[in-house]
Amino acid sequence: MNEQPTRETTLRLEAVNLTKRYEDGVLALDHINFAVQSGELFVMLGGNGAGKTTAINLFLNFLEPTEGEARINGIASHREPLKAKQHVAFVSENVMLYGNFTAIQNLDFFARIGGKTDFRRNDYRDVLLRVGLPEDVHDKRLKSFSKGMRQKCGIAIAILKDASAILLDEPTAGLDPKAGHEFVRLLDSLRSEGKAVFMSTHDIFRAREIADTFAILDRGRIIMQEPASNLAGKDLETLYIQYMAGHNNSSVAAAGGIHA
Amino acid sequence: MLSTLVQKELRAMLLSPKFVATFAVCSILMLLSVFTGVQEYGAAVRQYETSTQLSEQQMRQETTWARMTTTVLRQPDPMQIFVGGLTYDIGRWSGISTRNSIKLSGSTYSDDPIFAVFRHIDFAFIVQFILTLFAILFTYDAVNGERESGTLKLVFANAIPRARYLLAKCIGSWLGLVIPICIPIILCMLLVGVMGVSLSAVHWGRLVTFLGISLLLFTFFIVLGVFISSLTRRSSVSFLAALVVWIGFVLIIPRTAVMAADQIVRVPRVAEIEGQRDGYAKDRWATFMEESQERWGSRCSLEELDESERDTELWNRMQEEDSLRRIVEKEIESYETRLQEDLRRRKAAQQHLAFILARFSPASAYQLAAMFLAGTDISLKARYVDAMTAYRTQFNDYVEKKQAETGSTGGVMITMSSESGISITTGRDDVGIDVSEVPRFSPPEYTYVAAVAPIIPDFGILALATMVAFMGAFIAFLRYDVR
Ligand SMILES: Nc1ncnc2c1ncn2[C@@H]1O[C@H](COP(=O)(O)OP(=O)(O)OP(=O)(O)O)[C@@H](O)[C@H]1O
Ligand SMILES: [Mg+2]
Repeated sequence: MNEQPTRETTLRLEAVNLTKRYEDGVLALDHINFAVQSGELFVMLGGNGAGKTTAINLFLNFLEPTEGEARINGIASHREPLKAKQHVAFVSENVMLYGNFTAIQNLDFFARIGGKTDFRRNDYRDVLLRVGLPEDVHDKRLKSFSKGMRQKCGIAIAILKDASAILLDEPTAGLDPKAGHEFVRLLDSLRSEGKAVFMSTHDIFRAREIADTFAILDRGRIIMQEPASNLAGKDLETLYIQYMAGHNNSSVAAAGGIHA
Repeated sequence: MLSTLVQKELRAMLLSPKFVATFAVCSILMLLSVFTGVQEYGAAVRQYETSTQLSEQQMRQETTWARMTTTVLRQPDPMQIFVGGLTYDIGRWSGISTRNSIKLSGSTYSDDPIFAVFRHIDFAFIVQFILTLFAILFTYDAVNGERESGTLKLVFANAIPRARYLLAKCIGSWLGLVIPICIPIILCMLLVGVMGVSLSAVHWGRLVTFLGISLLLFTFFIVLGVFISSLTRRSSVSFLAALVVWIGFVLIIPRTAVMAADQIVRVPRVAEIEGQRDGYAKDRWATFMEESQERWGSRCSLEELDESERDTELWNRMQEEDSLRRIVEKEIESYETRLQEDLRRRKAAQQHLAFILARFSPASAYQLAAMFLAGTDISLKARYVDAMTAYRTQFNDYVEKKQAETGSTGGVMITMSSESGISITTGRDDVGIDVSEVPRFSPPEYTYVAAVAPIIPDFGILALATMVAFMGAFIAFLRYDVR
């Protein structure tokens, strides 16, 4: 778990010509390129079936890329998956933990397999409080947790791993506005700790609150990628819809003025 | 990291709600089986002791060597508590006399047919049918269950080598099931001790080996469950698959093996043998009669001889016929012996084949091994029949010797003479006889080596099957799609 050699490189997550064609012929990702630096929060927007989960699965080596590479701290994850995965934490769209274990037991297990063996109960309590889970649920079994509580546990696990990059696949889907807001605040604090955060979502409003960089993925292609500063003051939802429509009509220019 | 993974498996196993229920059922069944086994054994021992005394007493009361007979008994073995095997099917005693050969009669099942209908549940049965099911039930979703619940993805988002994960799965499931099962096993041992069954060192050796091979079977089914779960994506599918495999191994293969062996090696039925023998005898006698008639016809008529020669000639001819007749009888007898010999050989071949085929299932390999270890296997009857036959010779020789010494021929001798008329002498020694030197039957010894030697192949089969299942699980999991 020694991250020293890669500390200097700030490029944490990199997709280089990343392409995935499934066995049934579906081209889920078509030569996509992007990079996430430390302290950057990258939001990937895209409709259902755009290829967001596929991209994350490629980073985690759950899938082999058809072409190109997904790199974590410069390590191609399909070449050296064990090494690459040391530097990444993952929060899925529906965090599933061991239902018969308590929150603390789950945290302990995942911290240990993430390579962190010297945490105490207090550390787990602190991190659970940080993600907004009150002390009275810490020793409750996970199966009694609501989806929002599970998502919070998921982020707690990611925090404990203390990896330099975090991948989140639609983490706020299904959360109520308050929980969503809290979640986003947490991501903000992680970013300020210097983590590189990659988040896929449909949720433009949530994304707008914190993103440093936006990308729009449509049918396996990145059709827009802009720093948030470029989009300041613009109505992102309209833009998104315009982009999607524009891309479909192959008349991106009609979306107007973003590239200016 | 391995220990973390193993601990997690262990904890997951122990915390699952089905665990307590299944474990309780297993424990109760085990203890009950041992309890009834001990009682059954105790009753058998008491019966053995009283019958032995009775037969001893009868011997003492006998007044003439000529009528000296005795009864020998099969000694109950404490291992029958754990593996009933054939012990209840085989007769418990045989008479020893000059006239009749050894025949074991009076089996428990013939005395209490109700037990034959619903066989005894013994420890080996519980291992073979219930523990294996238990093992499958807890491991059929070891891998795909975690995939379905989504935890597999989260685990493999970390730097975990797959081999290590699978190893932890197997070790964790194994410990999680074996440690709890050891508790009722220890209680069973205590129960045996408390209920006053004394075990010799050889018995302990056999018992420990038996427990070892039981654990090996259990291990096989645990690993098999993991294997099936890493071959399938959905736990509903693997549940069915595991159940089908279990039924095949535990119920189908052993029975099919016997049926197949029966088809492949034909063994004539008793009626067939008798029919064959009778047919042969009929033919043989028919030819004998024909030949005899021819002989009578070809000889010169008795009328041609004078009176004194006629009698001797008739006598000679009858003597000749008689010896020819005896030759025919001998031929028929040897024909029957050959038939019996052939029957025995075929039976042995059939049994051999059936065992080989049955051993395709580790469950039946286990069953055979358990019976051998307990000494309640298929050779139990032969072991006793052989020992009793040897004893019979010894006994009869002794009795004959004594008979010659005392001059008592038994029965009644009637002497007729012109001087004293008719006198009747019985061979009875009215003083009674000393039976203290009569050889006594000692049960055939069943050593540890004799018990363990035949199960070495079964041990090998179980170990190999476990290895194959583990390798299979390993290979399947290396390619497993964790999404
Ligand atoms: N295992 C698979 N085999 C074949 N095709 C797949 C597989 N998984 C995904 N796809 C296809 O790949 C494309 C991208 O799917 P993906 O799950 O990456 O989309 P997504 O952006 O995550 O969508 P959502 O917002 O609904 O989660 C879709 O067309 C989908 O049908
Ligand atoms: Mg998705």
